[in-house]
Amino acid sequence: MTNNKGNFSQKENWENSVDHAVKRFPERKDPFTTSSNIEVDRLYIANKDSEGNELGYPGQYPYTRGIQPTMYRSRLWTMRQYAGFGSAVETNKRFRYLLEQGQTGLSVAFDLPTQIGYDSDDVMSEGEVGKVGVAIDTLHDMEKLLDEIPLDKVSTSMTINAPAAVLLCMYIAVGEKQGVPSEKLTGTIQNDILKEYIARGTYIYPPKPSMRLITNIFEYCQKNLPKFNTISISGYHIREAGSNAVQEAAFTIANGMAYVDAAIESGLDVDSFAPRLAFFFNAHNNFFEEVAKFRAARRIWAKIMKDHYQAKDPKSWKLRFHTQTGGSTLTAQQPDNNIVRVTLQALSAVMGGTQSLHTNSRDEALSLPTEESARIALRTQQILANESGVADTIDPLGGSFYVEELTDRIEKEVNDYLERITEIGGAVQAVEEGFMQREIQQNAYEIQKGIEKEEEIIVGLNKFKVDEEVNPDLLKVDEKLEKEQIDSITSIRKDRDSKKVEQALGALKKHAQDNNSNLIPYILDAVKVYATIGEICNIMRDEFGEYAGI
Amino acid sequence: MGKIRVLVAKPGLDGHDRGALVISQALRDHGMEVIYTGLRQSPVQIAQAAIQEDVDVIGLSSLSGAHKTLFPKVIEELIKRNAEDIPVVGGGVIPSEDIPFLLEKGVKKIFTSGASTEALANYIQELIQPGEVTEIKPKKIAHIGIAVKSLDQALTFYTDLLGLELEGVEKVESEGVKVAFLKIGESRIELLEGLNESSPIQSFIEKKGEGIHHIALEVDDIESRLKKLKTEGIQLINNEAKQGAHNSQIAFIHPKAANGVLVELCQHDEGSED
Repeated sequence: MTNNKGNFSQKENWENSVDHAVKRFPERKDPFTTSSNIEVDRLYIANKDSEGNELGYPGQYPYTRGIQPTMYRSRLWTMRQYAGFGSAVETNKRFRYLLEQGQTGLSVAFDLPTQIGYDSDDVMSEGEVGKVGVAIDTLHDMEKLLDEIPLDKVSTSMTINAPAAVLLCMYIAVGEKQGVPSEKLTGTIQNDILKEYIARGTYIYPPKPSMRLITNIFEYCQKNLPKFNTISISGYHIREAGSNAVQEAAFTIANGMAYVDAAIESGLDVDSFAPRLAFFFNAHNNFFEEVAKFRAARRIWAKIMKDHYQAKDPKSWKLRFHTQTGGSTLTAQQPDNNIVRVTLQALSAVMGGTQSLHTNSRDEALSLPTEESARIALRTQQILANESGVADTIDPLGGSFYVEELTDRIEKEVNDYLERITEIGGAVQAVEEGFMQREIQQNAYEIQKGIEKEEEIIVGLNKFKVDEEVNPDLLKVDEKLEKEQIDSITSIRKDRDSKKVEQALGALKKHAQDNNSNLIPYILDAVKVYATIGEICNIMRDEFGEYAGI
Repeated sequence: MGKIRVLVAKPGLDGHDRGALVISQALRDHGMEVIYTGLRQSPVQIAQAAIQEDVDVIGLSSLSGAHKTLFPKVIEELIKRNAEDIPVVGGGVIPSEDIPFLLEKGVKKIFTSGASTEALANYIQELIQPGEVTEIKPKKIAHIGIAVKSLDQALTFYTDLLGLELEGVEKVESEGVKVAFLKIGESRIELLEGLNESSPIQSFIEKKGEGIHHIALEVDDIESRLKKLKTEGIQLINNEAKQGAHNSQIAFIHPKAANGVLVELCQHDEGSED
């Protein structure tokens, strides 16, 4: 303590001596702040016992320094590039290419009709089929998507939320056909409906039945897919929608608590499902703030699970997370500059101890990535992993005066938000009242104003501009695809055993009416007889109603 | 004139509405009334909403790649309802090569990634209430600027040999130049000599040698012109008018925007001329 006091008075002396220099050379900004408006001091000094409990050791509660005892010294993070466009066959080709290039996990992007539970021939799907991801109508498409990809060896992450149960069941069914029992399947479904209401928009049903489907999945997977991550609680889209780093962490953790509450309420023991909860964060440009955000999130979650939910299994305390670099930070102007942004963001995720990482492609502000851009993005991770040496020691920024203080500060600010959300009545209530939506929108507007007033410099956008022809080689989705997909679903409807489909959908309808029924086995039955995603989701639309937005 | 009413709409299934929401708020801050439809609107719903709400303009936003199908559909639905007089503008993730197609289908303008809300607001203002910014044609060529190494030497030629009338010589310290004005008809020739190394005239001569440096147009409405040029994305050297010689307000447009010619806009205060 005396030592600390000494430090502080020395710092004061130093600050006084600096005043003179500042008058001659004024600082570039007054004050300097992070994205979350945390004021950044001129200099940080040791302000606490660096051996303290808060920091701890890797693999030990509260996991500030990482969830594994050895981190990347034993195994590098999983390099998982999100891909999917057009037809199942085309996407399958891209997947096999990425696996050949050394990627270690798959990540499937679905088109919007699939994500909202519409068939490709639904009137709502017009113009959207195969555009932002692969179109999946029936098990037939899923079989083509995963053709010759061994599901016992490759882990697959699926960005699917409202109809997550349907896609998960299709995945189980393809596994069965390959002779891989469901116990051996590994991967993740996003399955995070709350952030859809807040930020991403692919909801179908109102919150209550949606939460039921999610807990049904928790329960089913605990018994049948013990190695599958049942949810990826996502801050990514909250950040893309315009939140700052603190809001991203706070709203994500608040949503996580809502899922835990719902599962406990449905009768599950916290330690039976909590180890399979995974998280998904964004990495933006403010490097140290991002690193601190990851470290703080880990510590907050550990404390909540241990103290608030009384989880006994240390696996329940660990916040495991995937990271994707920030799509909204990329510029359409001088797109090659995006490679540099992505590198910086990816580095922050690695310094923050991520379990898996997607690096964005340079051309994403313009269109879906080309094969070359996707390769550069993957190579960026491979260079970080193999050439930079950053993966050779654990939590290399731990003990940095700045990073530790920022970590503490973010923890405090996130906890303030969590208190406010608890006062509102929890995340579900806060979403229904639009609390998070308003906070994010306000921040997004401030960001835009800052850029237009040139208070925030975005290289190539509002400063360091060049005259350029923005006309790179872009990936185009074939316009014929929509028609082909419609032809395919038409012929499947004709060829399948319609009696079996009717039976399966009838059983699903009956059990949807019974709140105590777990719907997953009935969805699996329907999927196996080639019921379409639209048919299955419409049964539940009839029973559950649709969310109308606020 | 009443407030401009804008319908901001998200056609199709795309859920990315950060841009739509930011724009809605920005347009409100510019004094417009904005109705935001929310997500997942069909072209029919959008056309109906535009008519019901009696809006002056529709802004469509799409980031999912469905713009080529959905934007023209909105216009078709407006035509079916005899409401094609409501202009439609669009934005989002839209590749530049798709823009001609969309314009041909009747979309008035596409604002892509990186466009400022200011530019959008000015564009809509100009589109709906053009009377607010009265457009008067430039009156004349105010002067032609010629960069010279030495005013004294150059004046010998222009006055003694060509016989032009020397009106006066003025130092404009802020620009680092000394200027001589020679009257010819209702215009002038302006000879410019750099005062020091850092003067733009000096660097012009170093790069290109002596010669015509700029052409100045006399205008009445320099501020609103600059605003309009900015809206159109024209690169300006001066975003706002500044003090020039002879009590004038001046601003330069970048030569890149004017086919290699440095264009000056200048406005003289009432009664200050001659």
